[in-house]
Formats: sequence, C-alpha cells, structure tokens
Amino acid sequence: MNLALRLLLRELRNGDVLTLALALVLSVATVTGISLFIDRLQSSFELQSATLLAADRVVRSPEVLPIQWEEEAESKGLEVANRAWFSTMVFTESGLQLSQVSAVTEAYPLRGEYLIDSTLFGTGKATDAGPNTGEVWVSSRLASLIDVEIGNSIQIGEADFVVTAYLVRDPGSTASAFAIAPRVVINWQDLDKTEVIQPGSRVRYALLMAGIESQLDEMEEWITPKLSDNQEWRSPRAGGRGIGATIDRAESFLLLAGTLAVVMAGVAMALASNRYVKRHLAQVAVMKTLGATPKKVASILIWQLICILVLGSIVGLLLGWSVQAFIALSLEALLSTALPEPGFEKMCLGVVTGLTSLVAFCLPLMVRLLGVSPLSVLQPMGRIEGKTALLYACGFVGMFALMVIYTQGILLPSLMVLSILLVSALVGVIGFILFKLGRKLTTGATSGWQIGLAALHRRLQSNLFQLLIFTLIIMLVLILTGVRSNLISDWQSQLPEGAANHYLFNIQQQDVEPLQSMMTGLEIEESDWYPMVLGRVTKVNQEKVTDLYGKKEERPEMLSRELNLTWTDVIGEDNTILEGVFNPLEDGFSIESTAAEEAGVKLGDEITLFIGGREYSQKVTSIRKVDWGSMRPNFYLILPKTILSDFPANYITSVHVTDESKQAFYKGMANYPTVSLLNVGDLIGQIQLIIAQVSQAIQLLLGFIVASGALVLVASIRASLDERLEEGALLRTLGASKSLIRQAMLIEFGFLGIFAGIIAAMAAEACLFGLQVYLFELSASFHPILWLLGPLLGFIIVTSIGLFAGRTVLKVAPMRMLQAL
Amino acid sequence: MNDPQAIAIRTDNLIHSVATSAGELSILKGIDMEIKEGESVAIVGASGSGKSTLLGLIAGLDVCSGGEAYIYDKALSKLDEEERAQLRGQYVGFVFQSFHLLPSLTALENVMLPAELSGDNQAKEKALGFLEQVGLSHRLNHYPRQLSGGEQQRVAIARAFASAPKILFADEPTGNLDAETGKVISDLIFDLNESLGTTLVMVTHDATLAKRCQRQLSMSAGRLSEAS
Repeated sequence: MNLALRLLLRELRNGDVLTLALALVLSVATVTGISLFIDRLQSSFELQSATLLAADRVVRSPEVLPIQWEEEAESKGLEVANRAWFSTMVFTESGLQLSQVSAVTEAYPLRGEYLIDSTLFGTGKATDAGPNTGEVWVSSRLASLIDVEIGNSIQIGEADFVVTAYLVRDPGSTASAFAIAPRVVINWQDLDKTEVIQPGSRVRYALLMAGIESQLDEMEEWITPKLSDNQEWRSPRAGGRGIGATIDRAESFLLLAGTLAVVMAGVAMALASNRYVKRHLAQVAVMKTLGATPKKVASILIWQLICILVLGSIVGLLLGWSVQAFIALSLEALLSTALPEPGFEKMCLGVVTGLTSLVAFCLPLMVRLLGVSPLSVLQPMGRIEGKTALLYACGFVGMFALMVIYTQGILLPSLMVLSILLVSALVGVIGFILFKLGRKLTTGATSGWQIGLAALHRRLQSNLFQLLIFTLIIMLVLILTGVRSNLISDWQSQLPEGAANHYLFNIQQQDVEPLQSMMTGLEIEESDWYPMVLGRVTKVNQEKVTDLYGKKEERPEMLSRELNLTWTDVIGEDNTILEGVFNPLEDGFSIESTAAEEAGVKLGDEITLFIGGREYSQKVTSIRKVDWGSMRPNFYLILPKTILSDFPANYITSVHVTDESKQAFYKGMANYPTVSLLNVGDLIGQIQLIIAQVSQAIQLLLGFIVASGALVLVASIRASLDERLEEGALLRTLGASKSLIRQAMLIEFGFLGIFAGIIAAMAAEACLFGLQVYLFELSASFHPILWLLGPLLGFIIVTSIGLFAGRTVLKVAPMRMLQAL
Repeated sequence: MNDPQAIAIRTDNLIHSVATSAGELSILKGIDMEIKEGESVAIVGASGSGKSTLLGLIAGLDVCSGGEAYIYDKALSKLDEEERAQLRGQYVGFVFQSFHLLPSLTALENVMLPAELSGDNQAKEKALGFLEQVGLSHRLNHYPRQLSGGEQQRVAIARAFASAPKILFADEPTGNLDAETGKVISDLIFDLNESLGTTLVMVTHDATLAKRCQRQLSMSAGRLSEAS
C-alpha cells in the first residue's frame, strides 16, 4: 500500500492523474450539490406545508377524539398537541363580533410558529407557544372591529380574557381560511370555562402529531381502520401535492442535467485514464521484470484507485456541500428565510456517483495494464488491444444505472439516452460533412487555414468525438439558460407587479357597491366580482357519482366536494375556451379543462348539479383552460344565470393591497365584519422562494457543467498531444513559423467550436420547444439569441481552452520534441 | 560460494515462433545451451537474429512455443505468470539499453523498488549501499530526468543488484551511451558481477564488451553457436 501511495503521490504532479482526480471531484460535487440543495428545497417545502397543518400529521374530527389515540401516538414516540375550534360571539363593552376561536394545548404548534405583534396591523414576531391561561390573542382585524387594545378584557362565552397580543399569523390557519371570521386564540385549559361547547355545538377537534416518518407511518396504519366517515387523517403532502410534484420534477430534471456533467466528467476520466495507461505500459512491464506479480500490480492499481476515490469523494463532497451552502446562505439573506439543514444521507449519492464513474470509466482501462507483457521492455509490443466495445458498454451501463438511481425510474433515463444518441447521430453526420467539405475547399499546407482544416479532417474520429462533447456542453448551457429565463419570465408574467394578494369573499349583494367605491377611493386594484352559490355534482350522464366511484377518496376533486358555482356575462382574460362556445344567455355548463379531464367529462356530456335542494341537469357546452396562477377568482363550473339567479349568492373578488394602503384597507374592511378576507401574499412569497431556489440550482448546475466540459476539452487535447507535438515539430523543422502553427490551431479549434455551437443551438431550440410546450405548458417561442450565443460560446470556449492545452506545441523547441518522440 | 557445477540456465530445443500476416514466423529454431552458475556469457548477433527473444524466454519474460527453458531446473513453461514473476523477483535482475527507470520515482526509490515489491523491510538500507557502490550517493533524491544517461544506467545497475539476483540479464547495457561512459558502465557491471558471484547473461553488439565475458555465444537466423 505504501508503494502504491508513493507512486500515486508522485503521479499527482502529472496531468493525467490530476485530470482524473479533478473529474471525480466534479462528478461528486455536482451530484452532491444538486441533491443536497434539492433536499433542502424539498424539506423547506415540506416544513412549510407542515406549518400550514402546524404538525406532520393531523386527525380531524367533529367529536372529541378518544384519549387512547393520543396515548397511542405518545407511546409510538410522537409529539402530540390538541386544538379545538369553533365560531362564537366575542363580547366587549363596545360591541360583539362573530369570531373563530381556537383553543390550543401548550405543545401547539408542533410545526411552524405563531406570529404576534404588540402593535395593530404589525408584521409580527415569531413565537412557538400559544397564550397562557386567562390570556387571549386576537387578530388586528377583530381588534379594530370590537375596538379593543392590548390589556383590555374580552368575554368569550362565560369566561373573561385579557388581550395580550395581536395575532398576525396562526399556523394551520390557511387551510381553513375560507370559512372563517376574525381569529382568536385561547389556552386549551380555558376551553371548559367558556361553557361555549354544548351538545350539538359545531366544533372541530384536531389531534396533531409530529415525529419521524416511520413513527408517523406506524400511527397511520394503526389509526386508519379506527377512523369514522367524518374523521380525517391529513398529511402535508396531500395538501400541497401540486408544489410537491413540481419539486420532484425539478429534482429529476436537475439531476438528469447533472448526469450530463457526470457523463462529461466520466469521459474526461476515461480520456485521462487512457493516456495514463498508455504512458504506464512500459513502467508496469519494468515492474513485472523486477518481480511484480500480476496480483501485486493489481493491488497497487486498486489501492491507487481507492485513494483517488476517497480523496476525490471527500473533496467533491466538501465542494458540493460548500457550493449549496453558499447558495442557500445567499438565498436566506435575500429572502430572510432559513432553509432546513440538508439530509446528510444525500451525500451517499455523490459517493455512489464517484464510485460508479470510476468503475465504469477507469477500471476497464486500468485493467489493460494488468495484461501488459514484461517482454515489452525488450521488444516494443505496440498498442495493447483492449475490447473497445466492452469499454463503451461499461461506461454506458454505469451512467444508465446512475440515471436510474437519480430519477427513480427508467423512462427519463431512456429518453435521455435516446436524445444523446440522436444528437450523436446528428453531430456525426453534420460534422462528417463539414469536415470533408473543409478539406475539399483547401489543398496544400501553406496557410493556417489549409493546415487547420486539414487537421480537422485528418483527426476525423477524435474531432467528431470532441465535436459531440462540445455540442452537448454548449447545448446544455443553452437549454439551462433558456429554461432559467423561461422559468423566471413565466412566473413574472404570471405574477406581474400588482398581482392580487388578498381574496375577499362572503360578500353580500348590498356590500358590493360600497366595497367597490372603497377600493376606488384607496386606489386598490380589484379583479372581477363573481357571485358564488354552493352546489355538488351528483350525476354525470345520468349516472350517479356514488355509483361511478365507490370510495370518496378515489373520486376526482370536482366530484368529491361541494363546489363554488358562478355565472358571468364575460369570462376572464385568464380563461381560454378550448372547445365549444361560451354563451351566457343560453343553457349549458362551462367546465375547466383539467377538472373535466380528471372527471372524464367531455363536451356534450350531461352534468347534474344539486343546488339548494334541487337538481339541475345540463350539457357541457364549453371547456375552458384556466390560468390558476393569475391570482384571480376562478371556477370549475360556470352556470347559466337562469339557474343561479334564483339563489341568494355572495360575491368573491381579489385585490392587490400595497404595503402603504394596507392599514387603511384593513380599517375600511372593519366596516364589513361579515366579509371574509384571505391574505395570499404569503403563498405568493412561497412560490417566489421556490422559483428563486430552482433558478439558483440551475446556475449552480451550469457552473459544474461548464467546468466538466472544460476538463473534457483539456483531457481530449492532451489525448492527442503527442500527435500534435509530432506534427508541430515536423512542420517547424520544415520551416513553418510559430504564427502559422498558432493560426492553424486557431482555425482547427475555432471551427470545432463554431460547428459545435451551431449544432448545439439547433438541438437546444428543439429541446426548449419540447420543454416549453410539455413541461412548462407555455406557448412555443423562437430563441434567436441561442443561434448567436451558441457559435460564439463555442468559439470562445474551445479556442481558449484548446490553445491553452496545446500551448506546448508552440513552446518547446522542435529538436527537443523530436528527441522526446 | 556458488557451486561451480550448478546449472543456472538451461534450454532444451527451445523454439519460438510468432504469427504474422504472412504466416508463422520462426524466430528461435531449437536452441540448446547451458550456463553455469557464476559464469558470464555474451550473446552476440545481428539485429533481428533473435537475441532479445532468447533473452526474454530464458529470463521468464515470455513463454516459448516449443522445447523448454529452465532457471535452476525450474521449467519456465510449466509456471503461470504469477509464478514466473515470483521467480524473476527471486533469481533475476535486469539492465536495459534504455535504462527503464520509473520517471516519477527518485534514484533511491527506483533502486528500492524491487526489494519493496518483494516486501523486504531493508529496502532502503540496501538501496543506499548499492547507490554508494555505483558512486551516486550524492544523487539519491534526483529524478531520472535530472540525471545524465550514464547516471541513469548506474541507477539501473544498482537497482538490478539491489535484489541480490543470482542471474543478471543485460540487454545492450551500453547501447545508448558514448564510449567513455560505456566503459565506466561495463566496468561497474563486471566488477559487481564478480564480487557478488552473479551469473551474467549479456546481449550486445559490442565485440569488446562481449570479449570481457567468459563465453561468447553467437546468434544467427534463430540458431545459437559458440563464437570462435
């Protein structure tokens, strides 16, 4: 082992081992960086979702939950808390107000924090414990409605409470926000004193639990059979599956793109190993003549590879960790939100990547050294012929296995392999034609143009390979740049300056006009005002929903709950008719496209709605696509006015309240105590945070990919260095000037870069089309910038790195070069 | 002291041929020879006569196509590569025309290498001793590229003797050196050979060098004969 280490240490000075080690570091760092970052993103999202629940899991019930359930949860090692909430009147000397009272135990909230403030409409400070007994926290809105201040007393039922704080945010509040009046929080122990809960009272109880996944899963298994129809087991993912799925998709996408960085690094490793093996054939033969047995040679090589793996992995892990930590830190500073610590088990993925790359790309080449005959020290044996197909197969299988591990599936890796094959074929054909054409147009060796273009043709195979690598790198850079700007511009266009941040609902007909004039007075932008009536879909094409779907949880969302129904004369700008015609004056329902698809409803199908004790059946006459990110009220079903105008409706709208108008707006809203208000600014913040995070991750990825690509370029030029040195020496011996050779190299690398850039722009345009249309669901657009950026980037990157890596050809005297050969 | 009757190397009708595109090419056409322990033997002959092939086969670097080669009565074709390598480590030292030092190791480390490969704990002490004998104790930490051709070959000689071989194979040891340096190198080889009682088998074009050996064998068209 000592000998192996010493030999390795000495070899580190040599470029090949360094390239190999750097490539390994990059592979490990890329995957570690991405997976740790995404893990933090994922847990950040889960934590935020858990904050909405105030726990990891919740059982909700309209009745008091059996104490045995709580005991069982505790025995499984889970933290538990209780909450009960109900609507009741809150009294003060100056008046009364219907409020949503929430009673919580000491441990509540298990996840997330309360935000409370000592000033009215303040932004709030975090606290993780609820009010003490005898104390009450009231929302600023309620405080303005009933005119109380901190230190004042209020009455809930039969009990008196002292107001000790203004409640800004209540964990678990968003989930039920649509149905509530102003909020109040009291201590669980004060619940009985209020005497509000009587038999028949409308109260909801929740048992909240937090702990590790396995304990939670055990609890779910234990409790599920015991749940009655009106009891419900809730988890954060179920509540926010849209965002969760988006992050999962983003992770697969980023890791797949990261795979390309790993493939590049793998290719650099293979090229470096190949040159290392070539240069060490004679050395191993000498060692064999000195008595090194094949086992000894193998053990030296294996120890060296283990050292490279361990060192490369450690440096790669540190680098990956540091890069994601740096990005997370800058994000935290930007958004004043702390990201959860990454799960360190994610680091395994980096190490697995390093090991797989080494086994797939280096080991098969290194094995060739074992086969070298000691006789070659006396008689040069020429090239050691290995099984090239086996080498490719090892590299391919290794990379495919990694892709499967990254994406936890086989479809995406297969698609990616197909795409790479397609790009390879494209590059092969176009490159072949271009190189041939270049050679035909120039004959002789009197100018840099002729020598350079001839070199492109002469090293056809290795140049086509380099062309492919550069094309892939530039393509990826272009795609990621495109995706990044698409992501940002998409969200910017969806959330323009002035996007609504509050929903107003439960608005009575008589309040609509005064509210509209209030908004105008405060210069607050508002969306359209929609009337809302509750209804439920009972039949589709005369078949009962209960017959179509047995279990409630299996039903598509539109068929599983009460829906807000509306009517309108004109559909909003964020609605696009996909099929049929929207005519408010004629009979027929208009349905949202995703809901229709989920429920299997098509144009012309008949839907039966149960509204206010009566059934209405009409055909679907239009299918609409709705942009749910527009932050305006939207509906699954729009009905003809003729049906809904018979029912008492309340209205909904959304408004954009600026920080300046916030206080005046809340004061104004105090005049409409029955109107419910939902602040969605926090939700927008969450979405923006995710975009910023994904965008940062893409930047991180770009850096790694460009670095891996540069390494491949250096390694591939080093692979042809001996040949280039020989050519350069011969040309210079025959009288060619340095500047002629420099010009020839510039032409060779320059054209390689430009060709790669053009092909990459073509491929990137095609990929972006697919991503825009299918992944981001945007309309396709042409990107002229790619066609400029691609060749320019190719030219700059390839020539600068090429001239740098090949500088020896110009530096060393022809005599020394010829001697060295 | 060596047993003057012991046979260090023996071949029985040693045959070697290689497959070429033009068919089977016969390189050694039945070689019979014996080299006694402690003897110094030169193998001379024109380029392509098969000298190096013979050296490779009797040193156990390759396997013959027919007949047999023995080192201390061990039939080489009966051994696998692992056993042949062990045999080389145990009995054989080499000096090559182009030195074949490991460029990444210093002079001292190059000399230590054979002993290290055989797991000898005294590798460094032995190496220092031999480097002193070849007059390079002031160049211990120099890399091959920092040494002249003659110095490199002296390191190679120290390396060859460091493993205390019973047989030293030298392939054109002065072929890459000028006459003066060549003389120094050949003196060194013969002096060490004599003082350590090593069997020396040397392939050379140099008639003067060959004459310093006790016996000269001539190789011509794959056949070996005692040189006159």
